[in-house]
Amino acid sequence: MKPAPFSYYRATSIDDAITALSGADGMAAVLAGGQSLVPMLNLRLSPVDHLIDLRSIAALSRQEETPEAICYGALTTHAAFEDGAVPDGTNGLMRYAASHIAYRAVRNRGTLGGALALADPAADWLTTAVALDASVTLTGPDGQRCLAITDFVVGPYYTQIAEDEIIDSVVVPRRSAAERWGYYKVAPKVGEYAKSLAVALIDPAKASARLVIGAWSDVPLVLKAGASALLEGVKQHDLAVIVQNELDLKMPSLSPAERRLHTSSVVRAAEQARS
Amino acid sequence: MNHSDTKQGIGASVKRTEDARLVNGQGTYLADLDIPGTLEAAFIRSPVAHARLGAVKVPSEYSNQVFLAADLDFAHPIVAATDDPQFQSTKQFALAKDKVRFVGEMIAVCIAPTRAQAEDIAQSCELELDELPALWDMDVATAPDALLIHEHWRDNIYLKTDVSVGDLERARKDATVSLSKSLSMGRHGAVPLECRGVLAHRDRRLNELTVYSSTQFPHVLRTCISRAIDLPESQVRVIAPDVGGGFGAKGNFSPEELTIAALAMKLDQPIRWIEDRRENLIASPHAREHRYDVTVHANNDGLILGIEAMIRVDAGAYSVWPWTAAMEAGMVVGILPGPYHVPAYAAKSQSICTNKTPMGPYRGVGRTGACFAMDVMLDAVARELHLDPADVRLLNLIKPEDMPYQSITGKQYDSGDYPEAARKALAAIDIGAIRSRQAAGEKDDRLIGFGMSSYTEQTAHGTAEWVSRGLPVVFGYEPALARLTPDGKLILHVGIQNHGQGLETTLAQVASEELGIAVADVVVRHGDSSVSPYGMGTFGSRSMTMAGGAVSVACGQLADKVKRIGAHLLQTTADAGTLSDGRVHTETASVALNEVAEAATLHPERLPEGEEPGLDISAVYEPKRSTGAFSYATHACVMAVDPGTGEMEILDYVVVHDCGRMVNPMIVEAQVVGGVAQGLGTALYEEILYDENGQPLSSTFLDYMIPGCAEVPDVRMLHMETPSPHTKYGIKGLGEGGAISPPAAVVNALNDALKSLGAEITQTPVTPLRVLEAIESGAVSPL
Amino acid sequence: MKQSVSLTVNDRPVEATVESRLSLADFLRLELRLTATHLGCEHGVCGACTVLINGEPARSCIALTVSLGGDEITTLEGLADDPAMQVIKQAFHDKHGLQCGFCTPGMLISTRDLLKRTPRPSEGAVRDGLSGNLCRCTGYQGIVRAVLKAAEDLAAS
Repeated sequence: MKPAPFSYYRATSIDDAITALSGADGMAAVLAGGQSLVPMLNLRLSPVDHLIDLRSIAALSRQEETPEAICYGALTTHAAFEDGAVPDGTNGLMRYAASHIAYRAVRNRGTLGGALALADPAADWLTTAVALDASVTLTGPDGQRCLAITDFVVGPYYTQIAEDEIIDSVVVPRRSAAERWGYYKVAPKVGEYAKSLAVALIDPAKASARLVIGAWSDVPLVLKAGASALLEGVKQHDLAVIVQNELDLKMPSLSPAERRLHTSSVVRAAEQARS
Repeated sequence: MNHSDTKQGIGASVKRTEDARLVNGQGTYLADLDIPGTLEAAFIRSPVAHARLGAVKVPSEYSNQVFLAADLDFAHPIVAATDDPQFQSTKQFALAKDKVRFVGEMIAVCIAPTRAQAEDIAQSCELELDELPALWDMDVATAPDALLIHEHWRDNIYLKTDVSVGDLERARKDATVSLSKSLSMGRHGAVPLECRGVLAHRDRRLNELTVYSSTQFPHVLRTCISRAIDLPESQVRVIAPDVGGGFGAKGNFSPEELTIAALAMKLDQPIRWIEDRRENLIASPHAREHRYDVTVHANNDGLILGIEAMIRVDAGAYSVWPWTAAMEAGMVVGILPGPYHVPAYAAKSQSICTNKTPMGPYRGVGRTGACFAMDVMLDAVARELHLDPADVRLLNLIKPEDMPYQSITGKQYDSGDYPEAARKALAAIDIGAIRSRQAAGEKDDRLIGFGMSSYTEQTAHGTAEWVSRGLPVVFGYEPALARLTPDGKLILHVGIQNHGQGLETTLAQVASEELGIAVADVVVRHGDSSVSPYGMGTFGSRSMTMAGGAVSVACGQLADKVKRIGAHLLQTTADAGTLSDGRVHTETASVALNEVAEAATLHPERLPEGEEPGLDISAVYEPKRSTGAFSYATHACVMAVDPGTGEMEILDYVVVHDCGRMVNPMIVEAQVVGGVAQGLGTALYEEILYDENGQPLSSTFLDYMIPGCAEVPDVRMLHMETPSPHTKYGIKGLGEGGAISPPAAVVNALNDALKSLGAEITQTPVTPLRVLEAIESGAVSPL
Repeated sequence: MKQSVSLTVNDRPVEATVESRLSLADFLRLELRLTATHLGCEHGVCGACTVLINGEPARSCIALTVSLGGDEITTLEGLADDPAMQVIKQAFHDKHGLQCGFCTPGMLISTRDLLKRTPRPSEGAVRDGLSGNLCRCTGYQGIVRAVLKAAEDLAAS
């Protein structure tokens, strides 16, 4: 299980990486933490001719704070979130999510940008980013563009990143200090990808609530009816019925067992958030 | 010195000798070998399940690095048949000829200085494959119009068997309840953490083909290779270096071993193949995949009156040497009644050929499925009759006063108290408290269930058992050569192979028992056909009983000689001496082993008259009766099920275990717990699914899950110790047992938990989604 | 497609010219003959190949050698004199935390890191903390007990 040959280039700056990407003939890919890409290379499932390594680009490991948001460079590792080594504006939600990604050895290398670029629907960061209304800043030959995460992700393993673009950073709006969150992940084993993943956010003072269900066969879905019910303080059983109806509407392909699973995780996340 | 404090013989939890090299990273596994000039191999494996094989197009620059079936036509195919004339046998060539029959079958071998380069070459070749319909499931393969996988066969069934013992008519007539169910156990991998591997090279000085293999049976493999490529056994040496787990999957003669040995011989070139995990999951022999249709006839108390079973096993595309494709089904038929008294029994079996990976031995062979079928049925009977499954089990377990007991299938259960194990397990898990807790309900709305399972496990199968199976080889004995060196230390040369079982320690303990020598002064050499007398290897829970017996006999004889010489050196009579603390003692004096050894090896003039110099003693051991020593156990567990998500948690897991006399209780416990973890894998996590094209859907650790640290509970163990009457010291084997009961115990606990919802689990592995599916099709909705 | 790289392995500077596709695990094993690092899956799941990169555990099977220029790599061999590792090894021996030994080097390295970050872990924390290192032999019971004992012994020392 060894990769096919590829060329390797360690980019010295974002511009340098873009130039290398634009100039490459054949398939080029950028290397961030490599925790998903390199397994694919080893399995020869990802035909890459040129690998452009981003690790020396200090700008991609930066964090910038503004009153409204925190901007995380694409190479910020899961472990940095887990350890609280980077600023947090989510009342600990990101820290919690990060600490449930795979295993420590993977979290030490794996990055936020890399995870979002892969757009695995079962991954923790994708559903979390949707819940947090994060946006992704892409840099390409024509400069930067910033996409809401829901626009950035087109489908499972499919994003808006153009061939000559890289993720510069992920911008996460600061949540109100009074907001509470719930995070419910159903995984077959500790560290495995989720079979169902729900995130709930509620701030009664601001009359805001958000419910997101992920780790099904498509990209995460925002559940609006469920969120309204959560905000109105609908009791658990009735919330479950509302959520189930919304899932039936938005995810009609679910089997009865899958519908039960996702309904449960949404309701659990919601209950956690308001407990 | 107080002798009892330093006892290292039978029964002592001596810490392991082999740990020192392993914790320091100095173990030497196959991939660690460094033979100069070795080229690495990558196989081109069939990407399709069933096809006629046309040309293999090899780029001209690689023509000297790619080898096909025709290049190895001097190698005989692997044929593993039972002596049953109805058995339809397969011929598996080193590399596929004409036809491929499963995804992963080897078509060509590519060699290059690095594995990466060999894979590049493999990727550059093109295959002409004329695809045939994939017979990807046993129902598909046995459909009336199914294509024949092996064209000369009658149908796609290796072997059908049909046994009927006792008065079933009467059982049917007398039964209050005749309960029928269909059950199934998923296809599985053995998944040792070190994958397989082979390195072969010709030793020019010795004119010997040296084959290193990550194998469980080096001597037997030597015989296989010698026969397959027509070399005298004296010109083949097989070495198993440190082996990173086997669990049965490394106890076969594989086409990979044949190919690498044959090619190294042909080219006179060291060649190595290291299996990667994808190959391991798709091409290393698989296990399990049983389907059962069982009917239990019972009276009003739940007493079993008779059992009828149809057992079908998906044995894959080829019959694995030497076990044959009929092994799983054959073992199930023989042991399905298990530890229960069954007065009437009828079982039919089919070992079915499909376009899937061949089925080989894996820890618990046959018995894990048989125990699952039997114990899940017993619980179903209890539910049907509104009885407690514990009571039904105790009612049916064979009584100690009936030991030795001949089972309805003719097995000779040698000893033990099966009901006592069950009672101890019930007490340890506190069944009363569980029932109260169930009645009270859980704050988090989870459902709690209790499940138990009892098995009896034939171990250390001897000559009679293997003869009855009609296999190509009869693994009835084990040898040992005990060699006291001039410095008074001991080397044991044994034919088994130690790959985690701790045999470098436990065999030394046997020597310590017989010779009074410290374990630290004993070296156990194994895993090399040139260092020990011919032996059968490590599998079938046999090594401690068989090789332990052989070491005992050899060391016993050595002890006699040492005592004679010692007594002579102490100028006393020959029968006066005892051995302890590395010395020969008489009532008044003692002499150290090294002085005895020096006399015997370097100073024959010091020996008593007529005493032959030298301290090498070779012995062979067979148990007194060769029908096996039967270990047994009861597993009891408490599970919590989340009816909303299907998530399950093991709240408690108890094992009450009897493997006869324990040589090293610390190692016994760890072997059992290791087995339980694998059994929990079978129960809850592990499955190799195939799609309708015969493509395996679990080819990486991302989609084939083995239990991790967080998934296995802290298992509570209680021991019983009923010595086997047939074996030295009363030892019974125990390596496999832990893996037998978990699927049954877990599924029984889940069914107990789900009872209130009218939901029932009949299939392993029980994934959360399968729990939810059972709940959705159950009578009561929890939402 | 070769590339030169300078890195530090077990405190020794190493200069090498390697194929860009060469994993750190293969570099350690094949070029430097440091064979304590084992390969159990080569796709980053089993943990047998775990080494330290700049002091942090990482899967060496999915780390590319050429990408590690300037980094410090530590393998089990490089921790031979590490006092904590000696205590951990002794605990694995005392509590029968290994059988075939194949997962052991990765398990030891993950244990050292776990105890560094969480000196007195609960049993549950040990189980979660080692969930990225698969063992097929022990059922983890001996391992968990070994880690708890090592924690105790390290706290006492």
